[in-house]
Amino acid sequence: MIIGENIHKSFGDLEVLKGVDLHVKPQEVVVLVGVSGSGKSTLLRCFNFLEMINDGKITIDGHTVNPKKDNLTKIRAEVGMVFQHFNLFPHKTVLENVIEAPITVKKMKKEAAKKLGTELLEKVGLGDKANVYPSKLSGGQKQRVAIARSLAMQPKVMLFDEPTSALDPELVGEVLQVMKQLAEEGMTMVVVTHEMKFAKEVADRIIMIDEGKIIESADPKNFFENPQNERTKQFIQLVE
Amino acid sequence: MPEIITTVYDVFMRTYPGFLEATVVTLQLTAIGVILGTVIGLVFALMKISGSKILQAIANIYITIIRGTPLIVQIMFLYFGIVELYTMSNFWAGAIALGVHNGAYIAEIFRGSIQGIDPGQREASMSLGMDRRQTMSRIVFPQALRRSIPPLGNQFIITLKDSSLVYIIGVAEIFSLGNREAAQSYQPFESFLVVALYYLVLVMIFTFLLRLYENKLDVDRA
Ligand SMILES: Nc1ncnc2c1ncn2[C@@H]1O[C@H](COP(=O)(O)OP(=O)(O)O)[C@@H](O)[C@H]1O
Ligand SMILES: [Mg+2]
Repeated sequence: MIIGENIHKSFGDLEVLKGVDLHVKPQEVVVLVGVSGSGKSTLLRCFNFLEMINDGKITIDGHTVNPKKDNLTKIRAEVGMVFQHFNLFPHKTVLENVIEAPITVKKMKKEAAKKLGTELLEKVGLGDKANVYPSKLSGGQKQRVAIARSLAMQPKVMLFDEPTSALDPELVGEVLQVMKQLAEEGMTMVVVTHEMKFAKEVADRIIMIDEGKIIESADPKNFFENPQNERTKQFIQLVE
Repeated sequence: MPEIITTVYDVFMRTYPGFLEATVVTLQLTAIGVILGTVIGLVFALMKISGSKILQAIANIYITIIRGTPLIVQIMFLYFGIVELYTMSNFWAGAIALGVHNGAYIAEIFRGSIQGIDPGQREASMSLGMDRRQTMSRIVFPQALRRSIPPLGNQFIITLKDSSLVYIIGVAEIFSLGNREAAQSYQPFESFLVVALYYLVLVMIFTFLLRLYENKLDVDRA
C-alpha cells in the first residue's frame, strides 16, 4: 500500500534518514518506535510529502511518486495524517473541521459532506459535539475529531505521529480505542507511539528506528521476546 | 482654580459648533487613513511572505522609508509631490498621506499575525489535500485576521492622534481649529486644553469599543 525504498532525508548537514526501506502492506498496522530524535516523525512527514526526500522513492497504492511531476496536493489527500498536537482549525466548529477538506478539495456538496461528517463524528463518539468549537474539547476529544477529519478524505493509509503523547494519561485510552477500531476495520496504518500495550495488541509489525535506520522489524511477539539488535533490547528494557 | 474652569467652559461653549465639524473631519481622515492603510498593508504583507525576493525587497524598502521618516515630512512630501501634479484637495492629500503611513505599520501587523499562526495549522491543511492557496485563504488568513483586530484597533487610535499633523497643510481638523482659536482668542492655554479634551474623549470611546470587541472575541472562542 505504501512503500518507501532507500529513503534519505537531510536537513542541511544533518542526515536524519539514512536509507530507510519500509513496505507497508494493505490493511497492515505498523508501529514505529525509537528514541526521540531518531527520525520517526521525519519518516511519516516524508510519506505525506510534508518533507521532500533527498534520495530514494515512495510508492503509494502502486504509484511511484515523482515529486517534480506529480500533483503532491492530490497525493497528500490520499494519505491521512494525525498529529501529536491535533492541529484542529480553531476558527471552525468540530463539524466544519471535518467537512472542510471534502468540500474544498473533493468539491463534495455541503449536504453530503455534513452527512458524512456527522457519521464520522458518531463513529469516534462525538456526535453531540458537532457544533462546538475545538477549544471547548478535551485533548482526547480533539484528537478523535482530528482522526474523523482525516477519515473524511477517505485516505488509503493513515499516519499517526504520537497521537496520544500530548494527552493526560486518563484520556489516552479513548483515542487508542478509536485507532484500534480503525485497525479492525482494515485501515492501513503507520503509527508512531510509545504505547507498548497498543503495539502488542494491535500491530502486525513493530519497527525500531535508530539514528535514521531501521534496526529491527518483527511481529510484536518476536519484537519483545526475541529482539536481535542490542539497541532494541535496551529500548525494550526502558519502556517495559 | 475655579476661574480657569469657567474660562475653559466659556471657550468650550463658544467653540463647540466649529469643533464638532472639525471632529467629523478628524474622524474622516482617521477612517480613510486606516482603511487605505489596511489595503496597502495587506498588499505589502503578502509581498513580504510571498517568497519572491524582488517583492520582499520592494516591501522592505517601503516599510523602511515610512518607518524611518517623520509623518509630518511624509505629509509635506505627498502634498507638494501630488497635489501640485494632480489637483487634489488638501483633505485628500492628508488622508492619503495617513493611509500610506499606516500601510507600513499595518503591513507589519498582518505579517506578524500571519507568521504567528502555528505551522501545524498549515501542515494539517496540506495533509488533508488542500493546496497552498486554499490553505492560505481558508485556514491561515481567517485566523490571522482575527488576531490582527486588536493591533489594528490600536493603530486606529494612533492614527486618530496622528491626524492632527495634517494641520500643516491646512486641513480643518481638530488641532488646526484649536490652533486658530488659540491665536485669535489670546487664550492658548484654554484652547489647547479643549483640543486635548476632544482627542481624549474620542480615544476613550474607541478604546472602550475595542475592549468590548476583544471581550466578545474571547467569549466566542474561549
Ligand atoms: N525541519 C527540520 N529542520 C532541521 N532539523 C530537523 C527538522 N525536523 C527534524 N529535524 C531533526 O531531525 C532529527 C529527527 O527528528 P524527528 O524525525 O522529529 O525525530 P523523532 O520524531 O524520532 O523524535 C532531530 O535531530 C531533529 O532535530
Ligand atoms: Mg517525533
